[in-house]
Amino acid sequence: MVTAINKGEWKAKNNLIATYLIIGGIVIAAMMIFGILMLLAQGGVLDLPPAAFYQFLTIHGTGMVGGAALAASAVMWYFLSNYVELSKKVFKLNLILSLIGVVMVIIGVFSFKYASAWTFLYPLPALSGGAWGVTGALLYLAGMLILGVGFLLLYIDTGRAIIKKHGSLGKGLGWDVISGKRAEKDAPSPTVVASTMVTIVNVTALTAGATVLIMNIINVVNPAFTFDPLLAKNLTYAFGHIFANSIIYMGVIAVYEILPRYTNRPWKSNRPFLIAWTMSTAFTLVIYTHHMLMDSVMPKWMLIMGQVLSYANGLPVLVITAYGALMIIYKSGIQWDMASGLIFMSMFGWVVGVVPAIVDATIVVNHVMHNTKWVPGHFHMYMGLGAVVMIFGFIYYLSKVDSGLQTNGLDKIGFISYTLGIISVSVGFLLSGAISTPRRWATHFPEWMAPAVFGAIGGVLAVLAVTIFIIHFIRYVKVRRTTGSDINEQKLA
Amino acid sequence: MVQTVAWMVSLIFMLMIAAVFGFVAFKSKEKRDYEPIKKKWYKARTFYGATLVVVMLVITIYTLRELPYNQPAYSAGNDPTLVDVEAIQFGWKMNETEFKVGEPIEFHVTSTDVTHGFGIYDSELNLLAQTQAMPEYTNKVYITFDKPGTYEVLCLEYCGLAHHLMISKIIVTE
Repeated sequence: MVTAINKGEWKAKNNLIATYLIIGGIVIAAMMIFGILMLLAQGGVLDLPPAAFYQFLTIHGTGMVGGAALAASAVMWYFLSNYVELSKKVFKLNLILSLIGVVMVIIGVFSFKYASAWTFLYPLPALSGGAWGVTGALLYLAGMLILGVGFLLLYIDTGRAIIKKHGSLGKGLGWDVISGKRAEKDAPSPTVVASTMVTIVNVTALTAGATVLIMNIINVVNPAFTFDPLLAKNLTYAFGHIFANSIIYMGVIAVYEILPRYTNRPWKSNRPFLIAWTMSTAFTLVIYTHHMLMDSVMPKWMLIMGQVLSYANGLPVLVITAYGALMIIYKSGIQWDMASGLIFMSMFGWVVGVVPAIVDATIVVNHVMHNTKWVPGHFHMYMGLGAVVMIFGFIYYLSKVDSGLQTNGLDKIGFISYTLGIISVSVGFLLSGAISTPRRWATHFPEWMAPAVFGAIGGVLAVLAVTIFIIHFIRYVKVRRTTGSDINEQKLA
Repeated sequence: MVQTVAWMVSLIFMLMIAAVFGFVAFKSKEKRDYEPIKKKWYKARTFYGATLVVVMLVITIYTLRELPYNQPAYSAGNDPTLVDVEAIQFGWKMNETEFKVGEPIEFHVTSTDVTHGFGIYDSELNLLAQTQAMPEYTNKVYITFDKPGTYEVLCLEYCGLAHHLMISKIIVTE
């Protein structure tokens, strides 16, 4: 465990981390409310005009991915800064650029009725059928670009710091250990390995995203400038898939760091672990093609690889990370509290969400389930019950070690409420997918309404729970200046 | 139906995972040395990992045998009916919408504006087949209806504010 930071730096660092987490948490809660409203509209309970529905859809997707990525990057930064020297200026700059981007996106969506969904598939931003104009599209696309630039700078900095300490990104992934040039005991920590992976995939993703955003911006300004829609789609999904999935890979750092503290059992990088992370790096970069299985004009080998590698991408988590988490907890005498409970739940959420994801990546299944609500079903499971729960687990961990703030019965109710809520949302979506309900439809036929209402009720439970989590964290921010911190870490196990 | 199989398979595996996590949580309060646990379960992991790889390989090979991208082998004198489909915000232009049971059909799908999704639903609202309707590209759907009735084409890729109203009918007779 590395905690060799002086107290002044510790406090300043945690202030910034807390700001990231509070913003991320509030954004996630607000986006959940939009999600509930959409489900109620689909369930026939709420009369929402289609224009409002699709604006909510756009802000919900953008906000969820952005808010969760912001909070998850704080988790990564918090732990990675214990191993390498990161730039706080760049970390601050990312926050500022993210806020500017968020404001532009919000104005674009709500003041200028922009509603392309967060996938902004070319040429939809420019061809809205009269629903929104140039200003809304430019505000949204430029806002996303500014957000992306902030994150890109952050990952360039994490890459720089890792290279400075370890020599190269390859060594950050432990390739010298895999090849036998270096002993296992000298392998980089799981946090460094995961951060290296995230750095590699997200620099790639954000570059692809920036490229397609800029091409869309030019097309919106000058429709005479056109480009290949299939290329645009590839770039969009390369960006969206990788960036959204990196949230889990940033969040899992909390699992690697927190469970050993609670169980007094080490979680070190060994060869299988390093090989698994190299596999995750490679697969995450290329499996976005499983979003394009219904584009038969794509080279067939790419689509087949989309299925095969999507299956293979399940192996690192199923065989290494989840298995490792179960092993470290099994007969450990762990002290269960909100932090350890949420971290354990997050691993369950991730693994359980992998199942419908793999099922959907099967070409013959995708043929009848692509763009049905099965798709949000699986990602609400591994993002809502996995990635986001890693962040909430970290919030409770930080508040415990940095202030000794006690949790109460309300927090436990929040835990149960959140778990039941997100399971209901996800199962509602999966059931809808199983009965062929299309996703992203402002209204539903009566046959499709019941699971949407069921999901909305689950969503209400989840929002109440997140409110409890955020209140706890705000309490922490208030009391942390008056209490000690170092001793609390030792009390975990 | 593929959807039912997908749902049942997912449900079974998800419940199995829940059972494993539940068991580990149940056993978590006991306290034992980590080294013997690591030794035992690392061994088990080799078997578990290998089993998982084999299962995934078998499923991969099984599910990749017949792909929706492949043109079916038509018997002599049973040439397919070619249907040009053009998606446009917010409707479908098809040069033919009435077919016979058993008649092989190839839908050649494109778009004149943004990306749409061409999804064919039966009268009970089950999705039978789909492809993307892309500007500048033509994707194909191969289908032979085996029941008479009214089928519907629904848009399956978000394309603007009237996306959910982009519905057309297909009639299939004996």
